[in-house]
Amino acid sequence: MSGDMHSGSDSRIEAAIDTALRGMGSALPEPGIEGRILNRVAAERMAMEAEPARNGWLAALRHTPRFARQALGLATTGLLGFLIVAGSVNHSRRVGPGRVTPPALDLPGHGIGAASAEHPAAPASTPAPEGESGRASRHPQHGRARIAPHARKAPGVALPAPSSHKSSSPDSQE
Amino acid sequence: MSCFEGQLASWVAPAPIAKPLDNARTIAQLVAEYSTALYRVAFSVTRNAAEAEDAVQETFLRVLRHESRLGEIRDYRVWLVRIVWNIVLDRKRRAKTRPEGEDIADHARTLHSSDRAADQTVISSQEHARILALIDRLPAREREALLLSAVEELTTAEIAAALETTESSIRSRIFRARRELAVLLEKEGIPR
Repeated sequence: MSGDMHSGSDSRIEAAIDTALRGMGSALPEPGIEGRILNRVAAERMAMEAEPARNGWLAALRHTPRFARQALGLATTGLLGFLIVAGSVNHSRRVGPGRVTPPALDLPGHGIGAASAEHPAAPASTPAPEGESGRASRHPQHGRARIAPHARKAPGVALPAPSSHKSSSPDSQE
Repeated sequence: MSCFEGQLASWVAPAPIAKPLDNARTIAQLVAEYSTALYRVAFSVTRNAAEAEDAVQETFLRVLRHESRLGEIRDYRVWLVRIVWNIVLDRKRRAKTRPEGEDIADHARTLHSSDRAADQTVISSQEHARILALIDRLPAREREALLLSAVEELTTAEIAAALETTESSIRSRIFRARRELAVLLEKEGIPR
């Protein structure tokens, strides 16, 4: 008896749930919903068509299929990579090691210095002028200039021997 | 023309379905065919006629914005249901309120006039509203499956596709939802 009552209650609950769900699932919109949707879609379409006039190629790209856009992107990336590599190789060939020129040393006196003298591209050393004794001619009041024994001199420049060497040499004693 | 060039040309050339005229016609067909079903899906969540219609309109605006993809869609019904479902759930999430202020007139509209006399023998309009309120207390997964199962036009396979799950999962969710709802109704006491 109670089982019958329980099953009766269950079936009534099930029926109530079914009715509620059926009512919700069969709801009808206000008449004319299709026209209202189409009107709104048409208005939106007009707004969209008016907008992309400024950036037409962007809009065209947006309407291109996705795989075509991906292919285009890949091709552009590949082309850019090729251009970079080709430009780099071309530049390396034009500026080869055989054509390398040393940097010009812009020194006063046309590069007659220790650094420029050792440089293979340095100008040839200047011979001493006739009648003068090279560096010693700079100090005429104090006698002859002393040149250190280890001082290097450019080839072709004649310099007198230092006086101290002269006085202590065996030739002078004789 | 080589094979590669032919392939490239087919990629770069616009798809035939992407022409605006064709798309406009397709969208008009979709509106004619699916607007009522989409309205029911939206209404099952919003329980408000104006909000449900607005959600359906928003759905077709999104279709318009992605009309270039129309040719890629295999099942329009599932695609559209998924869009409208996301729209109404998103709006509900933003509102962060359950549809408590339900209008009795909206509920009355859900019952066909021809069916109403027969249904009144089973439940009243107030009872109908109470059941819907109890449905909102169900867990989200069960509730969603139950609400979509109520929409006449949707099969279990389409519900499964829309919710991105399997048919068996949908069936078990609906079963659990109905059982839990029956328990809640029994606790509350159904008027006789």
